[in-house]
Amino acid sequence: MLELKNLTKKFGDFTAVDHLDLTIGTGEFFGLLGPNGAGKTTIISMLSTVLLPTEGEIFIDGQRLDRKASVQKRKLSVITQEYSMRQDMTMDEVMEYQGRLYFLPRRVIRQKSEELLEFAGLKEFRKRTVRHLSGGMKRKLMICRALMIEPEILLLDEPTAGMDALSRRQMWNLLRQVNVNHMTIILTTHYIEEAQALCDRVALINRGKLQKLDTPAALIEELGAFAVDVTTQEGLVSRYFKSREEAIRYLEGAGLEATFRGTTLEDVFVDCAGRKIG
Amino acid sequence: MGIVTVLWEKWVEFRRDFFKITAAALITPVMYLIIFGLGIQTTSHGEPYLHFLIPGIAAMATMTGSFSAIAQNMSVQRLYEKALDQVMVSPTPLWQFILGQVIGGSLRGMYAGCLILLITWPIRTGLIFTPVSFVIMFLNGTVFSTIALVLSFLAKSYTDAPRYTSYIIMPMSFLCNTFFSTDQMPVGFRQVISVLPLSQSCEMIRRIANGMSPGAAGFLILAGYLLVFGLIAVVFIYKKKNL
Repeated sequence: MLELKNLTKKFGDFTAVDHLDLTIGTGEFFGLLGPNGAGKTTIISMLSTVLLPTEGEIFIDGQRLDRKASVQKRKLSVITQEYSMRQDMTMDEVMEYQGRLYFLPRRVIRQKSEELLEFAGLKEFRKRTVRHLSGGMKRKLMICRALMIEPEILLLDEPTAGMDALSRRQMWNLLRQVNVNHMTIILTTHYIEEAQALCDRVALINRGKLQKLDTPAALIEELGAFAVDVTTQEGLVSRYFKSREEAIRYLEGAGLEATFRGTTLEDVFVDCAGRKIG
Repeated sequence: MGIVTVLWEKWVEFRRDFFKITAAALITPVMYLIIFGLGIQTTSHGEPYLHFLIPGIAAMATMTGSFSAIAQNMSVQRLYEKALDQVMVSPTPLWQFILGQVIGGSLRGMYAGCLILLITWPIRTGLIFTPVSFVIMFLNGTVFSTIALVLSFLAKSYTDAPRYTSYIIMPMSFLCNTFFSTDQMPVGFRQVISVLPLSQSCEMIRRIANGMSPGAAGFLILAGYLLVFGLIAVVFIYKKKNL
């Protein structure tokens, strides 16, 4: 179990994360959603101890997480938004470095590298240095590197950023497979449909503050499961309804410039944060 | 164990960039040896100037080799590649990471220093280099690796590393007992320069080269620098809020 208690991060006068309290259960697929600058990456950076909180604490299975907490850190692996790897190492070297940092035996490192690079379709490029890989290959390599150590908690910071639609779906499938093994996954994304497809629960964050926290279905239900978009002089305006009948009644009275659809998590976020994302 | 991981990483880097590292370690010191030692032939304390110069250049090569191995690399890893994040999140104790960097950087400096001794060996100067000389070179390397680590944690951009070289390494290279004795400097300035780590390393290696005892003071001063900058590096990596 992962607990964030009163977690706050300030950079000078700017508060990036504002007194955040969260509890994430073991094996949960948890989404942190928010627009650019909401504080998602700052939270991940504090979870990976690259940044230290200004206030508050993080606990893993009841034990405080800090830079000295080797036992807690052993349970964590992170896939950062940026390609955080030595650019001059080959794929094999990147994997070996990761294995060594986690004290895996050489035999295990070799075996796992083999399996994961094969699984990700990267095996034939294993002698290529990172700087000569495409963006998609780098992203896959980061996933292989993170999974190599079989973490209990996987932190994913915008893992599909810059990926094409096909690669993104492949990534979703991969993450679902990983989550089957009761690995806790914390995903930050501004692709709302990604969170809706993958996450058991989501936290909506804006300007470092927790806005809403629940399952995607419950959040949609709370707003109203049916939406009608009406084109007005001010632009597109959405109205949400608890029942289909209510929505259809409204649609009939709204004229031709209106469409009916199911509410999505994106609607929840837009309604909550007051700004369009994705 | 974490120390071995860092040394492995340094070895991978050394093996890949062997020719570049070797060339970089040799070019500047060899130029100094040619210009000041062979081109402008003169004497110092009744001896050929080259005899004075070689121990100083060996110490200087150790300093620049160690400093550049860490400063540039760590700044790029921390600020550009973000590869330090991989280390921070791992269970490898961070003090072991620091120690590995210091030892690895010092070994790179030793390599540069040994190259100088190797290429000047055929000159048959009669200078003596004992195991203690190599211990001093290693200690000198650890001091400058540690300083490089601290500075790379302070760097705001990866272009800061070359600036540190201009501000610290270049002045020390010329002033710290490398090309001329600090005894010739004005009072006050001389005392400041003579306690700098390169001055001490040059003096001790030169004394051994001339068959004298290096004395204990230099070791203590170098150990003092190592301790102070080592502690700062450890405090930074554990406590710096925004690494």
